[in-house]
Amino acid sequence: MFEALKRTFSGARAGTEKERGAAPKARRSAAGSGSRAASPLLFDDEFQRKLESLALVSRRVFAGRMRAERRSKKKGSGVEFADHRAYAPGDDFRFVDWNVYQRFGRLLVRLFEEEEDLSIYLIVDCSGSMAFGSPSKFDQARRLCAALAYVGLANLDRVTVVAANEGGGTVMPSTRGKNRIFKVFQYLEKLEAGGVTNLAASLKTFAAQHKRRGLALLISDLYDPQGFEAAINVLRYNKFEPYVLHLVEPSLDSLNRDTILGDINVYDCETGEEREVTVTESVLKSIRAAHQEYDAAIQKFCTRSHVPYFAAPADLPFDEVVLRVLRRGGVLR
Amino acid sequence: MHLAGYPLSAVLGAFGAAAACAVVLYILRLRRRPVAVVFSPIWRSVLGERESSRLFSQLKRWLSLLLQLALIALLALALGDPRLAARSAEARHLVVLLDTSASMQATDVPKGRIAAARDKVAQLVAGLGPSDRMLLAQMDASVTPLSTMTDDVAELGLALERVRPSDTRADLGRALSFALDSLNGRTRPEIILVSDGAFAEETRRHAPALGNVALSFVPVGSSGHNVAISEFSVRRYPLDRSRYEVMLEVVNGNDTPAELELSLFGDGQITETTRLSLAAGERRAQFYANLAGADRTLEASITTAPGLNDLGRDDRAYALMPERRRSRILVVTAGNTYLEAALLLDEYLEVSRAAPGEALPPGRFDVTILDGVTLPPEPRLGSLLYLDLPAQGGPLALGKAINDFGFDRWDEKSPILRWTAPENVQVESGHALVPGRGDRVLGASELGPILVSGRREGQAFVALGFDPRKSDLVLRVTWPLFLLNTINYFVEEDTTYVSSFRTGDVWQIPAPGNAEMAWLTSPDGSRSRVALENGKARHLGLYAGFYELAVENDSRPPLRFAANLSDLDESRIAPVGKLELGREVAGEVHGFEVRARHQLWGYLLIAVLIASAFEWVSYHRRVTV
Repeated sequence: MFEALKRTFSGARAGTEKERGAAPKARRSAAGSGSRAASPLLFDDEFQRKLESLALVSRRVFAGRMRAERRSKKKGSGVEFADHRAYAPGDDFRFVDWNVYQRFGRLLVRLFEEEEDLSIYLIVDCSGSMAFGSPSKFDQARRLCAALAYVGLANLDRVTVVAANEGGGTVMPSTRGKNRIFKVFQYLEKLEAGGVTNLAASLKTFAAQHKRRGLALLISDLYDPQGFEAAINVLRYNKFEPYVLHLVEPSLDSLNRDTILGDINVYDCETGEEREVTVTESVLKSIRAAHQEYDAAIQKFCTRSHVPYFAAPADLPFDEVVLRVLRRGGVLR
Repeated sequence: MHLAGYPLSAVLGAFGAAAACAVVLYILRLRRRPVAVVFSPIWRSVLGERESSRLFSQLKRWLSLLLQLALIALLALALGDPRLAARSAEARHLVVLLDTSASMQATDVPKGRIAAARDKVAQLVAGLGPSDRMLLAQMDASVTPLSTMTDDVAELGLALERVRPSDTRADLGRALSFALDSLNGRTRPEIILVSDGAFAEETRRHAPALGNVALSFVPVGSSGHNVAISEFSVRRYPLDRSRYEVMLEVVNGNDTPAELELSLFGDGQITETTRLSLAAGERRAQFYANLAGADRTLEASITTAPGLNDLGRDDRAYALMPERRRSRILVVTAGNTYLEAALLLDEYLEVSRAAPGEALPPGRFDVTILDGVTLPPEPRLGSLLYLDLPAQGGPLALGKAINDFGFDRWDEKSPILRWTAPENVQVESGHALVPGRGDRVLGASELGPILVSGRREGQAFVALGFDPRKSDLVLRVTWPLFLLNTINYFVEEDTTYVSSFRTGDVWQIPAPGNAEMAWLTSPDGSRSRVALENGKARHLGLYAGFYELAVENDSRPPLRFAANLSDLDESRIAPVGKLELGREVAGEVHGFEVRARHQLWGYLLIAVLIASAFEWVSYHRRVTV
């Protein structure tokens, strides 16, 4: 799946003009044939350039690990002035504020903010419900994850990809630097959707394993039988800065009347739980309303909890999600 | 109440089987379609409230089953065709004979007699009793049943639409025999004759006895004004085929004198017009000699003043003249003045000559005349006429030599000896001929056959057992007639063949070649396939006009011929109000009142439809599921 993405990145970095010229043509062809959904990656040169100009916004300041471009709590050798303190023997004379000494006769040393990296955790829901429907939410989630990872890596942030699944989740170790994007791709490519959603358990494991706090972006459809609130609260209570990117099921608005009306045997795509029902127009209407209520409840909970929430239909082109939804929502700047 | 259709046991059996199937299907619940959903808790939250109504749902299923069983019961009962017992005694079996002969095409009533007859039959159908059954047949030269013996009004209505008049007389005797056969063993049999009653006296007198079968008559028509061409014939002159003579007969069937204009059309162009005055009831033969201007078709037509002629089908007559073409004749002779002189009489002969032993002229010939010689048979030589058949190489063996003989017997119907008087011919010497299997002796003396025709490997021949020059035959008119008749016989031209068949007869149409099937094109352009037997197609002709017979797998142009009504009895179209057939007097129809039919199966089916519609609506509204 990510071979094309890799080729695009290789072309952007070392490709010839001819190769770069061919890419838009291929895109037009794909779009013209209506196979946009079938071709999971549309990560072209222009989109890549746009991504490079973006950065993930963190409202809180977290302690970093290595020097980078993010403000940190540390004072050090950055360029942003932070404070003064009294001179102590051993301090570097270059940082003595001689203007203050001239006016007040006190030796003060100028302190600067240390710029460090930011830990960004991209949590992808890998439950069975993510693979349900067409286009697949799971593919959309992986594409978004790849794009956001690239944004983070391009800004020298420390990116960690977490796959939340039934077994508690797997983690791609933290990585840093733009050239490590391929590692992200390889990891995402190997992910598979399946099993029952239990986000809270997965995130508890994640929080226990990652002591360095940072920005945690949850990409999920939030169809969690245990309740989506618990999962988000795990991130909140463990002092991560959670963002929720909710992939909304696109087929709910267009439930096919012809196939679903009548006597049917409904089974859950994750749990396999069966139930014989007779679907009438009124039942169908109620189901749609229930789905909308569920989505509204998620949004309401996030708003109340001051968790940035973004709803993105799975059939919305992912570049549009990145450049419009997330940017307008303030996740990216 | 009783069942007129399937017996009660069969009805119960059908109901039991169908009901058992329905119950089994309800017991074996319908296999539901599996549908995957993304998050079943949402469905659970919505449908959880509906669990409480499950018992009621099951009850609704039972209601649905009961409805299905009721539908099956109604259908099974409809199969039995239940009737009210009081009505069953009125059952009648009726055969309606609708006259479609030529006289029924008269227009003395609005829309014509046929339309009026259709309307009257439609009234009879509408007034059928609940148990009555009717068979509708059209009667012309043959009897054609248009429906079964049925009480199905729709079928009878469709049958009525198929009624088509013909240009023939009505064969009443055959139609009555058909009706009697159809009614044999039926209860309350009755024949209803819908006709103008314009049957010949002889036909009425010789009608079959009806026995206990009632006969009713529905008269059609109001007047009998008609002027007709009752005979029409044309022939070419044998020795001048460019000219022809016409004989026709016109009849005034009115009670008053009639002025009429008689026109002849040759190949579609008018060639002769004559004004005639006919007295009341007069038949007049008209003879037109020495006419010219027509090559293939000849048509006669009469027009009269309005009000004198209600039947148009006998106002036209058709004839087809034999085609004129030059016949290629090869004469192989050492010299025969009588022969060559006789052939000069027909300007439509293209004669080539060759001496015995010489090379033959190139090309194909229609007839080869072998004067005292033989040739190896070849297809290009056409048909062969042997004069003084030699002993070797001919199609026949020679018998004993005979002297001083003449024609003691001859075939008067043979076209070869037409217009001849062979009885006076005296022959000095010759040989008796030994005819083979299938050969035909046309002339013979007491000493043996002397003129034989036949066919060898598809090649026709005529053999004469003596040299005409050793007889006085060459001095008689018989000689050129014999030669030209033989040539015409070979090239299938017949100067007397006026090609005018009479409608209503079974035509025996001569067809060239040895094929077994041919296509016959009727005057209206419809085509039908007819079988050929012994070189003739047999066809019951129903319509006047020009026909074409195209033999299958034969490159020759189709044979054309004409057909005419030519029936004086049929041209007498005066309707009768009271019909007498022998000693039988047809009565008036009765017992046909337009009323609701009391066949309950129709109402049962309507009930089934209503119940089905209710079930359908309730199902799709999810009331009964």
